[in-house]
Amino acid sequence: MDGVTQSALVKFLRALVLVPYFLLAAFPLLWLGLTSIKSYEDTISTTVKFLPSAEVAATSSVRFQPSLQAYRSLAQPVAGTPNNFYHYLSNSVIVGAVSTVLAVVLGTLCAYGFSRFRIPGARDWLFFILSTRFLPPLAVVVPVLMMYRSMRLENTHLGLVLLYTSFNLSLSVWLMKGFIDDIPRAFEEAAWVDGYSRFQTFWKVILPQAATGMAVTGVFCLIAAWNEFGFAMTLNNYEAKTVPVYFAGLQGNIKGVPWPQIGAGMMLFVAPIVLFTVLVRRHLLRGVTFGTIKQ
Amino acid sequence: MTLRGIFKFSGLALFAALGFSVLGCKSNSESPPAAGAAQPAVKAPPAKSTLTIWWAQWAPADGLQELAREFDPNVQVVVQQIPWPSFQDQVFQEFGKSKTAFDVVVGDSQWLGRGATRGLYVDLTSWLPTAVDLNTLHPLAKKYLSEYPTSSGKYFAAPCETDAMGFAYRKDWFADPKERAAFQAQYHTELAAPETWDDLRKIAEFFTRPADKRYGVALITGRGYDDIVMGFEQILYAFGGSWGDPQTRQVRGKLDSAEAVRGLDFMKELLKSSPPGGTKLGFGEAVEPFVNGSTAMLMNYFAFFPDLSNKMRAKVAFAVMPKQGERRFASLGGQGFSISTKTAPQQQELAKRFIAWFLKSDTQKKWVTKPGGFTANQEILKSAEFSQASPYNAAFAASMDHLQDFWNVPSYNELIATTVQKLGEAVDGKKSSKEALTTLALEHEKILLAK
Amino acid sequence: MQSGPDSSAYLKWGFVGPALALLVTLNLFPLFFNIYLSFTNSDLSGGVVEGVGVANYTTLFTESRYSDAITTTALFVVCSVSVELLLGFLLALALRDRMPGKPVVLTLLLIPMMLCPVVMSLFWNLILNGQYGALNQLLGSLGLAEPGWLTDDHLKLVSILMVDIWMWTPFMMLISLAGLNAIPKYIYEAAEIDRASRWRVFRTITLPMCTPLLGLAVLLRVTDALKQFDLVMAITGPNDMTTQTLSARVYQVVFRDYKVGLGAAYGVVILVAVIAVATLFVRYIERLQRQQGRA
Repeated sequence: MDGVTQSALVKFLRALVLVPYFLLAAFPLLWLGLTSIKSYEDTISTTVKFLPSAEVAATSSVRFQPSLQAYRSLAQPVAGTPNNFYHYLSNSVIVGAVSTVLAVVLGTLCAYGFSRFRIPGARDWLFFILSTRFLPPLAVVVPVLMMYRSMRLENTHLGLVLLYTSFNLSLSVWLMKGFIDDIPRAFEEAAWVDGYSRFQTFWKVILPQAATGMAVTGVFCLIAAWNEFGFAMTLNNYEAKTVPVYFAGLQGNIKGVPWPQIGAGMMLFVAPIVLFTVLVRRHLLRGVTFGTIKQ
Repeated sequence: MTLRGIFKFSGLALFAALGFSVLGCKSNSESPPAAGAAQPAVKAPPAKSTLTIWWAQWAPADGLQELAREFDPNVQVVVQQIPWPSFQDQVFQEFGKSKTAFDVVVGDSQWLGRGATRGLYVDLTSWLPTAVDLNTLHPLAKKYLSEYPTSSGKYFAAPCETDAMGFAYRKDWFADPKERAAFQAQYHTELAAPETWDDLRKIAEFFTRPADKRYGVALITGRGYDDIVMGFEQILYAFGGSWGDPQTRQVRGKLDSAEAVRGLDFMKELLKSSPPGGTKLGFGEAVEPFVNGSTAMLMNYFAFFPDLSNKMRAKVAFAVMPKQGERRFASLGGQGFSISTKTAPQQQELAKRFIAWFLKSDTQKKWVTKPGGFTANQEILKSAEFSQASPYNAAFAASMDHLQDFWNVPSYNELIATTVQKLGEAVDGKKSSKEALTTLALEHEKILLAK
Repeated sequence: MQSGPDSSAYLKWGFVGPALALLVTLNLFPLFFNIYLSFTNSDLSGGVVEGVGVANYTTLFTESRYSDAITTTALFVVCSVSVELLLGFLLALALRDRMPGKPVVLTLLLIPMMLCPVVMSLFWNLILNGQYGALNQLLGSLGLAEPGWLTDDHLKLVSILMVDIWMWTPFMMLISLAGLNAIPKYIYEAAEIDRASRWRVFRTITLPMCTPLLGLAVLLRVTDALKQFDLVMAITGPNDMTTQTLSARVYQVVFRDYKVGLGAAYGVVILVAVIAVATLFVRYIERLQRQQGRA
């Protein structure tokens, strides 16, 4: 503990907790990487294959010959699927990017409104916004489906974009309100003295100050949209299918689950998220607690 | 606080709700003509029209897409593939619209009752016999893949993919002299493709050597959709049980009979010779322990066998479902073409023209050359040419006289879901076969006799 | 606060209006529509919709699958959240002091919670497979029993829990760490002067001072765990009795049995549970904010 000198025992105990957990937690990701460079037969071999080696190995050996074949084959549709992986990845990118931009823009406007104006029932509105986050998709998916049906929105990118924007608004409004609350009012007041209108102040003073906050918020919104499954699966059959739905659909494939392709696809799918996690690591806490904890 | 907030806005939302439901009703009652914009086909330009077919995501659908290019140069046939796990919900969800995105759905045999009674499938009763020579179709395939109610002569579909369950086995292991001698010594009979379920059990036991990571048989026991139901069905019937009386819908005394219990006990016994995880293998998963060289025999649909044959070449051979006494049954697979009622009349006509073309003997001859393309055409099934065209065709043709299917009533899915759960409990050892089947029979009667 | 140019009602509602409108349409409206549907015989494939009174609710409350789903969900929530809390807190204690490479280790440990649940759990199927899975092969080579993770009746839920714990322990760790870091050093120094035992320091200082944040973390996780759907879908499917959570049950009823009315009734039941927890959560946040405001 702090202040108390660290004895060998403490160090040992610490290692006892950290090392095994770290190994266990990292293993699935390591295995994902290994799977992506194996052949199909090696992924379902009864002898577990974990040592890449240059020469061809016997079926009963733990060695396997690595190859980038799975990555190359992502460009070809898996047996029985009409499109290749990149088609679904582009759906994910479109839906994720557009909904993120919308959520951040609407969220920033809304947060500014709540931060700087006296709005009747502001607390109630804010908590209503927060409570929408708790709604289980499966409890509202049926009415959403019926609504989308009459508006011809199901099976479209726009349908998913609107839904993802709305479920990310709670996060976006709460996070952005925290960031905007932190911007000193003196900046705005100075601008007003210079004759800026309310909107000009927002555009020229607040936005530049809130840019970091918006970027962080954007990352969290993007991740949530990127990972969503419940709505994407039930509201889509083929047009706007995102990567999670595509992968889930490969279960029960007639040629067996194509594990190497799934591994390779997942690596590409997960890589941006890992990168973003590293980028926003300082703001992670704020992000996962809706801005209620500021570090 | 939230609660107060929610109540506060409830008035607003209710107002919006009213507005939406009015809008919704409106668009439902008058939309078919207005919907045309979304689908170019409805405009029916003389030059090129489009026929959209929905099927599950698998190789036969690729085959159909390929074959359909030869249909009519002026018609573009699009086969849209939906992943298996969500195939049925996507289809029936689509039927909820005033206009479906597909003109034709290649649907499971069990869906017939639902499609027919809810007015989702076009009634083909008067058209089908005039456009297709029904004598070319194998009677069992015709019965299960196109009629509702079964054997009523009323048609709501026409066979597209006709499939059955069979066995794949390791030809190289069965031919190995050492194995043959050992088997002979142990069982006093020759090691060969199993003729009866008892033979199959002996062979499965014989090859089960966990120390060498070798196992006897992989059965279909998955819980995803109807996997374990189809896997058990052929054993249930071979042992003398049945799902129930199709006419009176009486289930008790059949599904929970002593014969049925013996069948389930037999399956549980057989599963002791299956690879680890063998009590929950879906259609796709079951292939894995066979392909990785640990398992001697694999139960599965013939549609899976072309790929297996490609992967394993001379190491694999195929057989028809074994019999018990004189009773031999193979669970039906495959799907039939049904035409959506929620599509324009000229699209329905186009769909009929396509189906009639597909079922012509000439087209069927091409169909069976596509990967996973299996036919109901009797003439082709009987021909030597077909039997010799692949290592699995002969076994497939021999399976056709033994087809058996599950209920195809509108509540089929509730029946499947409880069956999966109860059989699952028995197979997992949570309940005895007798207990599981007794409760299952009760639940089935309750579902079947509900209005 | 309300100073500055142009604070007209139009302008302020212009800022907050769009976000609120979207939330009301896509969150609040479906909720009420869902309540309406729960009193009808609505079918997924359309057809005439008729009111059936409380018939759906009578069916629901007499179904044994309803109580099973509630038990499974409750079991899942309690087990996952408590294990994640304990493990996360333990990790936070171990990671609290300065040590070489800490930022890297911390970031790596946080990655799993940012990844796509359905995609990762699909991949866990490969690791947990009874025959060729890496886990059982490892156990086998150590001479240990090879349990049927995905097939044994008692282990299916455990497998889902394992994946959930893998994903969400970092979340608990992150918040615990924030709680620990917020404890001022001088308090420990005072305790050291008093020669208090380690255990006493932990019990009387560390734990109580972390509790508010841990409470927040638990509430956030509980609302999330109540919705559990993705992992169940990818690991055992929606129709497995031993792992059928409420959300999975809704999926089965609506999208497999086509009974939209009954599914809506299930949705209402989930909603009541979620609103209860969400209300607790909101009260909690308000209190936290008030405390922070005072500090």
